[in-house]
Amino acid sequence: MVVVADAGILYGLLAVGAGLATGLAGIGAGVGEQGIGAAVVGVVAEEPGFLGKGLFLMLLPETLIIFGLAVSLILMFAWTPFSAIVTP
Amino acid sequence: MSRVVVAGSKDVISPVVEKLHELRLLHIVNYNGNQPEFALGKPIGKAREYSENLIKLRSVTRYLDIKNKAPEKTYPESQVLSEMDNLLNNVGGDVTATYERIVAIEAEIKSKQDQIRALTPLSILPLPLEAYHGYDSLATFVGTAVTPVDADVARVSPVNEIFTGTAKNATYVAVFVPAEKASEVSAVLSEHGFSEMSVPKLEGSVDSAIASLNGSIKSLEGELAPLHKKLVDVKKQYEDLMLATDEYLSMQVSKTESPLRFAETDNAFVIDGWVPSDQYGRLKSELESAAGGKLDVQLIADKEADDLVKGGEDVPTKMDNPSIVKPYELITRLFAIPEYKEFDPSLLIFVFFPIMFGMILGDVGYGIVILLILTLLKKRFRTEGWQQLINIVMIAGVWAVIFGIFYGEIFGPLGLWNYMVGMLSHHEMIELQEMGLFFGEGTFGPLGRLGPLGIFPLYRLATNAVLLLIGVSLFIGVIHCSVGSILGIKTELNYGEKRHAYFERLPVMLFQVFFAIALLGLVMGQMIMVYIGAAVIVLSIVMMVMGPEGAMGLAHVPSYVSNLISYLRLLAIGLASVGLAYAANQLSFYVIMPMLSGGATNSADFSILAIIVGIVILVAVHFINILLGILSPFMHPLRLHYVEMFTKFYSAHGGGVEYSPFGHVRRFLKA
Repeated sequence: MVVVADAGILYGLLAVGAGLATGLAGIGAGVGEQGIGAAVVGVVAEEPGFLGKGLFLMLLPETLIIFGLAVSLILMFAWTPFSAIVTP
Repeated sequence: MSRVVVAGSKDVISPVVEKLHELRLLHIVNYNGNQPEFALGKPIGKAREYSENLIKLRSVTRYLDIKNKAPEKTYPESQVLSEMDNLLNNVGGDVTATYERIVAIEAEIKSKQDQIRALTPLSILPLPLEAYHGYDSLATFVGTAVTPVDADVARVSPVNEIFTGTAKNATYVAVFVPAEKASEVSAVLSEHGFSEMSVPKLEGSVDSAIASLNGSIKSLEGELAPLHKKLVDVKKQYEDLMLATDEYLSMQVSKTESPLRFAETDNAFVIDGWVPSDQYGRLKSELESAAGGKLDVQLIADKEADDLVKGGEDVPTKMDNPSIVKPYELITRLFAIPEYKEFDPSLLIFVFFPIMFGMILGDVGYGIVILLILTLLKKRFRTEGWQQLINIVMIAGVWAVIFGIFYGEIFGPLGLWNYMVGMLSHHEMIELQEMGLFFGEGTFGPLGRLGPLGIFPLYRLATNAVLLLIGVSLFIGVIHCSVGSILGIKTELNYGEKRHAYFERLPVMLFQVFFAIALLGLVMGQMIMVYIGAAVIVLSIVMMVMGPEGAMGLAHVPSYVSNLISYLRLLAIGLASVGLAYAANQLSFYVIMPMLSGGATNSADFSILAIIVGIVILVAVHFINILLGILSPFMHPLRLHYVEMFTKFYSAHGGGVEYSPFGHVRRFLKA
């Protein structure tokens, strides 16, 4: 079988990809929460009873990181199918 | 809850209000005044006097900085009454006078400090202070200038006197010109970036003026100290009595003003309200005996009550949970009060929340530290809200210890655990790794490894453990969401919305459960499960399209999957916490300590300094991790409840109104 890439490099690239997936997703979620958080703090200052609902809204974009994490986990643990490419 | 109407003669309004207040049973529905036969009620008794006294008292307590707190002493009403006059007039007057004196002194000090600030730069100009004031025919300009002004001023006003001094990158000028040239000189000066300063009207040299101002500030400050001490003493002496008086007056105000919420005719009053159904008999007999027969309590029939509710009246909700579940009402209440017919989710939060917290934190050491800290805090923070919050976290802390045993973690994985309990031998470890069953190197001492495939203690950073926990997290998610969906179906049926129940709530549950079954089939290699799962998923989507939202319902389908993926945070946050603990242990024992001992690898060779520095770093990082370990395992399960679970059944019909009966819980007053 044709060797497509060096196993070490392939694994390294997977790790970089996994890191980027979680990291960038984290930045995205952070940007999303920034605006909502500021607005929620504003509303809660006016009306403390809104805290629970505000929290709910603020925590919505957090799922994004988990998506990134899921992609990372798949990349890291789906290493076995990729390894088939490099077996001679 | 039962809807009641209390109607009686106005002669007995006072004893009736008194009795209602004492009973704390009736949730009063305010009369809105839109029936022509009935007017709004008027306050009874000395309402005005009580309000005035209350305002007086509140201003005194504000001056004394008295805040609501847990009572240390309680007072009988008679003592409050007998001391109220003295408290409000003598003590209160004294406090007000002292406070006003303090404010006046502080204002004076501030104005003197401002004067000093204005004078300081003038000390570089060679003029006494009286030279700046009191001219009829001269105009004075004192201030800073960016460029030299002499030549230009001389050009517009040949008759002039200019003094210049430089200090701290600024040039100060004092310009004296005849009054009639003032406007021209002002224009010239502004070209040189002149900005004017005000000169205080004082006499003598600048330095002596500053010295005398400083002297008087000193003496004023000396006067302040005893005044502050006086307020502190008064506060210490009267704090509880003032709070008791505040409570007494508030109670009286709410009693005397309560008729504002009633409907009234010339000779009678009518009170609408809700009362817990089992308490109706008690309310009726107590009120009737208090009024001596001049009163009638009527129960409104269910059908009529339903009409009132349809007309916009809210049935108040009384959350009724066993005492161990009570603290979790805090989390429910933070989101919304359940509506009367809705399910109160506190019980579910009680079941799931601590388990999720424990699953995320899962460390025997951290759990015990949290329990210890909270036991201390429990004695300090005695208000109800804090007690509830502390109880929530304490129950969660117990679960953290339990999961810590499953995970084999005491202050991070392996390290301490292996010292205290046990460790696999090297060849056993290699064997497990080769078989792909490696879940960590710890054991339960003589018991060895427990559970199917020997997965406990589960080293969470091992690959197999991560994969296992992904599965466990997803299945907790399926159970959690399904419970939510079932309740959603039940709530919709309670409201009589069959279509919403079977074609909006049910498909969500079918989708999520069979999605999980299909995944499980994939992992186990049982294709039959995958096919069944896929078939039911398609069926659920078809049901969704047939439902009230029609094809728009399809837009929600991705969110069913993302709801489940969201539960991966149970694994992810936990991994972050283990990771940090692991890093702390590694950093301290394998990096800092050997490095500072000149590369020694044996722990017996570590120098004292290395051990001290290592332990300081260890404690610091673990401390931060414990703080994070309370915060994120608390917030994330909270989110899982609010976003993933509550959206399935809760608050779809808008929040409810809490049952708050007319009356008062005595805190500082003896009953």
